[in-house]
Amino acid sequence: MSGKVSLQILLYGVVCLAILLVPMVIDDAFLLNKYSRYLVFGILAIALALSWGYAGILNLGQATTFGLGSYCMAMYLKLKTVPIHTGSDGLPDFMVWNNVTELPWIWEPFYSTPFALAAGILVPALFAGLLGWFMFGGRVTGVYAAIITLAAMVVVNLIIIDQQSYTGGFNGITDLAQFQLFGFEFDAYSATTYYLVAICLTFALFLSLAVTRSKTGLILQAVRDQEERVRFFGYDVAVYKTFVFAFSAAIAGLAGMLYTIVMEFASPTFLGVPLSLSIVIWVAVGGRQSLLGAMLGALLVTGVQGALSESETFLDTWTLVMGGLFVLIVLFLPNGLAGAFETIVRRFMPAAKTPTEQADEEHAKGTAQLGGAA
Amino acid sequence: MDFVVSQILTGLSLSSILLLVALGLAVIYGVTGVINLAHGEFVMLGAYCAWMLQTQFGWGLLASLVPIFILIAILGWLIEVLVIRHLYDRPLDTILATWGLGVMIQQIVRLTAGGELRYVQMPPSLSRSVNILGATDSAYRLFVLGVALALFALTWFIYSYTSFGLKLRAITQNRSIASCFGINSARAYRLTFAYGAGIAGLAGALISPLKSVSPEMGTTYVVDAFMVVVLGGVQSLLGTLVSSGLLGEISGLLAYYSNDTIAKALVLLAIVIIIRFRPQGLFAQRVRA
Amino acid sequence: MTTAHEGLLSLREATVSFHGFVAVDHLDLDVGAGELRCLIGPNGAGKTTTLDLICGKSKITSGEISFKGAPIHMLNEFQIARTGIGRKFQVPSVFRQLSVRENLCIGRSRNPGVLHNLFQFGLSTDREWLEEIAVLVGLQDEMETLAAHLSHGQTQWLEIALILAQNPALILMDEPTAGMTAHETTKTAMLFNRLRGKHTLIVVEHDMGFVRDIAETISVMHQGKLLAQGSTEEVSHDPRVREAYLGSGGIGHA
Repeated sequence: MSGKVSLQILLYGVVCLAILLVPMVIDDAFLLNKYSRYLVFGILAIALALSWGYAGILNLGQATTFGLGSYCMAMYLKLKTVPIHTGSDGLPDFMVWNNVTELPWIWEPFYSTPFALAAGILVPALFAGLLGWFMFGGRVTGVYAAIITLAAMVVVNLIIIDQQSYTGGFNGITDLAQFQLFGFEFDAYSATTYYLVAICLTFALFLSLAVTRSKTGLILQAVRDQEERVRFFGYDVAVYKTFVFAFSAAIAGLAGMLYTIVMEFASPTFLGVPLSLSIVIWVAVGGRQSLLGAMLGALLVTGVQGALSESETFLDTWTLVMGGLFVLIVLFLPNGLAGAFETIVRRFMPAAKTPTEQADEEHAKGTAQLGGAA
Repeated sequence: MDFVVSQILTGLSLSSILLLVALGLAVIYGVTGVINLAHGEFVMLGAYCAWMLQTQFGWGLLASLVPIFILIAILGWLIEVLVIRHLYDRPLDTILATWGLGVMIQQIVRLTAGGELRYVQMPPSLSRSVNILGATDSAYRLFVLGVALALFALTWFIYSYTSFGLKLRAITQNRSIASCFGINSARAYRLTFAYGAGIAGLAGALISPLKSVSPEMGTTYVVDAFMVVVLGGVQSLLGTLVSSGLLGEISGLLAYYSNDTIAKALVLLAIVIIIRFRPQGLFAQRVRA
Repeated sequence: MTTAHEGLLSLREATVSFHGFVAVDHLDLDVGAGELRCLIGPNGAGKTTTLDLICGKSKITSGEISFKGAPIHMLNEFQIARTGIGRKFQVPSVFRQLSVRENLCIGRSRNPGVLHNLFQFGLSTDREWLEEIAVLVGLQDEMETLAAHLSHGQTQWLEIALILAQNPALILMDEPTAGMTAHETTKTAMLFNRLRGKHTLIVVEHDMGFVRDIAETISVMHQGKLLAQGSTEEVSHDPRVREAYLGSGGIGHA
């Protein structure tokens, strides 16, 4: 039992170490920027694996919280650009173009670094907490919860686009200052930024691992299997689900902030349907019930996509292939590559117990049970 | 007076499109419990078929309708056999699989027909205006309204009065027990899926002269259709009719009075609230377990 | 009859109707602390529904249910569970994707808060206690087995063990021996006789042999009402009970 846990920690550690060592081998700034982007997606995949893989909440709007984090960072960095990219009164340029005369109150606190950094994590968490409380308190589950997350994302997206004078509308928030913290300067095209992202990824991965390894994580898995049953042991299922939903949002928010640093802008496409679909695909490919699998799934898929993105036709074909691959994985490999890997390991080491193994076949039976008893 | 009538007619036209698009989704969802996120792509394919038949083969829109229905129905049938059939006891995965299928269909169209907007000609016999109570409306829009109502009536008839419909209702109540009584539920599901897809294709063809045709057009329609079904209630065909009428008129009014983006956001917000408080829909008594 | 027991649970005029169908009809039922009560009755008598009402799975339409002297019928399922009521379902409901040990760990719900459990790792808390329960139901050698891989009888026992891990004052058992072999049923009867006194049990059962083995008081339900109550002897000679079971071949085959 404990041997298996330490083996898992070792495996996670080795992967993180490998990621951290990349700048030793590569010093091409453009490549490092690209890899930083993939790592941000890796963090995002961890966030979805937590809520989808462990608690059974399929969040089709994971990009919402990612985008909120991204906008928080962008607002902070935009205010840092004064006076180069701003109007005469220190207003962000797009506000001047929209005839806004003074800084909206909602922007005011973003002058403060601690506030902005906290907001990037807490605003998404709070948003998800409220949405989660609204859904899970009313016992909205499964497909319906998925649709609500999707609809909520489109609403937030529409509002951001509509409120052009406060958010920059379609164009998003561009021309940002460079992020600085503790005397470090995080140029998007540098090893420093890569390290920042890689360290955040390691942190998010191990923090999430701790949550899934705690009794709370165990209860969440039980909720995924048989939500009704868990209640009769005295657990408040709505609170548990809301917690993991908000926690996952906080991690997505962190990823969003890093994305703004890496990309040097924030845009409404960051909380769009295509990105949300991509996250689901990464996690499905990597394995929804494995944090590491989901993360590597994101790196793999975006990596291949990035390699092909040189040509427009290639990219279109790639999207087609991706769609097909996704359907096949949903059909035949519900636990993704990580699930396949575990099955193989098990074949060679019969003693090892794999939690996701067998889950595929049992999945249907387990969920149907309580309904049948009613 | 003219204004009121014309406003009502605008709403009716929107309603008929909603009804056309939602009917297929409602049938599939109501019988099989599958939320088909590729539904919008079926609509889009119907529109592209109309465009292709018109530009490549010179077929008029009216002549193309039946072939399009059959074509998309066959596609739906294939998708059911190849994919959906394996996922009936994994509802969350059907969402994902149909989403993936939607992406594939969209990409295939983009790669073969190109990403630019396409336009379909109205049937010449219907491209004139008709005067109703002092307001004018396009004959084609009235034709679409008529077809939508006729399709609804046909579906209603099949569901309520034929022996096939009786079997469907039995399956909806309890699939395994219906199977015990010798009802071939797998075949019924397949036919339902094909029929729903066919109607979606037909909807796309009928819409094509009114809107521009593009690979992305399906996305809007699947949202609209889903909204109609959620509002009307999963198990209620009549609910689908009422809610598409209601939503059509409301969006007609909203579009007149306010900003489009906010109207869209409000509608989505309404969906969220309805799902939360009345997941069985506004007009239905029962909900599929 | 059972005056020796102090009152623990009482249903007063408990009524529930589903779309006009009255499943439980002005039911009065009292169960004392430490008692082992068997609830029997023909199919559709409302036995399972009664358990549903007590544990909050269904809500009463009118009447009152009180536990330890306080009303509980307006509480949520999880709140009722926290007052000390555990429920075993007719179709065994365990967490099939988790191991027996993990299942037991979830059953051990003394501290149901999300933040408290966030800092519980390695299933180390109550380890010995959980092992003890596993021994009690004969699953000590299956601790690392996935629940999905257990036999039907073992699954039944696992669910019973989950309830024991929860350690509630009142245990509601819905057909605990369904699908068990004769040998397994005998073992279960022995287990229940050991629980007597430490826990209060309400057992819904069809197997009259099993009921005779464990029961001290039997309550007979019919058409949502309490028809008779007393010892095995008294109940099986009650003419009303015989009449209610007529057509189903007598009480022994119900």
